[in-house]
Amino acid sequence: MNPLLRSAMIPMNTLCFQRNFAACSRALVPVQLPSRSETHLWYVVPDEVKSASLLGQYSKILSPCEKEYISCVRGERLKKTALLARVLVRTTIARYQTNGQVDPSSLKFRKNIHGKPELEWDENDHGSPPPIHFNISHTASLIACGVTVNSPIGIDLEEKDRKIKNNIVSFARRYFTAHEVEMLSSIPDPETQRQHFIKLWTLKEAYVKALGKGFSALPFSTFTIRSRNSSRNCQSRDLSDSSSSDAEIVVESVDGSSSLMNSWQFTLLELAGTHFAAICVESDGSIGGRVFTPRKVTARKTIPFVEDEFHPGTDAVVLGGL
Amino acid sequence: MARNRFPALRTSRFRVSCAAKLETVNKVCEIVRKQLALPPETDLTPESKFSSLGADSLDTVEIVMGLEEEFGISVEEESSQNITTVQEAADLIEKLVQKKEA
Repeated sequence: MNPLLRSAMIPMNTLCFQRNFAACSRALVPVQLPSRSETHLWYVVPDEVKSASLLGQYSKILSPCEKEYISCVRGERLKKTALLARVLVRTTIARYQTNGQVDPSSLKFRKNIHGKPELEWDENDHGSPPPIHFNISHTASLIACGVTVNSPIGIDLEEKDRKIKNNIVSFARRYFTAHEVEMLSSIPDPETQRQHFIKLWTLKEAYVKALGKGFSALPFSTFTIRSRNSSRNCQSRDLSDSSSSDAEIVVESVDGSSSLMNSWQFTLLELAGTHFAAICVESDGSIGGRVFTPRKVTARKTIPFVEDEFHPGTDAVVLGGL
Repeated sequence: MARNRFPALRTSRFRVSCAAKLETVNKVCEIVRKQLALPPETDLTPESKFSSLGADSLDTVEIVMGLEEEFGISVEEESSQNITTVQEAADLIEKLVQKKEA
């Protein structure tokens, strides 16, 4: 059959995808910015992105610097993750179109002194910068980008079944705080302990990333993360107690100066059924006063330029407390 | 003349510091391979960057902890940002071991 004729019989969206990728670049579905009390979370499952031609098109929107970085990454799987991570950031920010239509490949990024990526914006070219803050995290099997307005954000992902090579309590003694060691040691079941460790790690990572610092600039032994309803003297308690579903997760400095830290809001979620995800956002304190109001998180799964999915209540399940 | 005064000490010290470097690098590679569960065919050289091998921050910290236990040293968290390759890890280990033995 004549290929032109055959292509005319294929549904419109597939035709667009196969024939002319440039036309599809306008297919990035635009989205409203999150409100000041909301976080957007966009994620990609790398194993679901299989098309070599799509990956080829993705490479075209990267900067020369990004392409060079990816060429240094060893192995196809890791290269693909690195590519998708950068494509996710570029396409996600471009969706918010605060200054008219934004070409994802035109976005510029820089790193702060600790290596945290930030949007670099030329006001002369594009007008005033969008108030977007973002942070990215990825594992071998998931890549996520969190977006807020006017609030620094840090996110971290870990696979739920990630195994720790070192002894968990030894690791915690070396890198965490005394309170956290006590908490972990009080968990009798090794599997529950391992999961608690992973959750705690993601929360601590999300916090240092929100601060723009990273592990080496802010050692994990200098701050404790815990549920507000857990006592400082940490008696053993039943962690499966679901009545703690609205327990606020808080951070406090080991030296006791906790008054500075009330401005950080944490959300712990189960994402895509396979990962724990922690989000840390600086709140300006004007939202909800000191009554604990959990921050709203809207999660969307995406394959940029191809499809977006939104399954409220299933792909991102907020876990109350720690 | 100085050479004859402490001949054994000088030559043995020279020999030890050369061999230790390669041995250190090999040990670091072993610990990295185990932590990252690298397939045996993965090429691992002193210049290999942990992040290019798929290590995330938790992997790097686990690797550092493994190195601390293997070599009996303590690595300040502030230094961990300087351990991005096998060679950098080996160099830091050498420095800390020498400091310990001084």
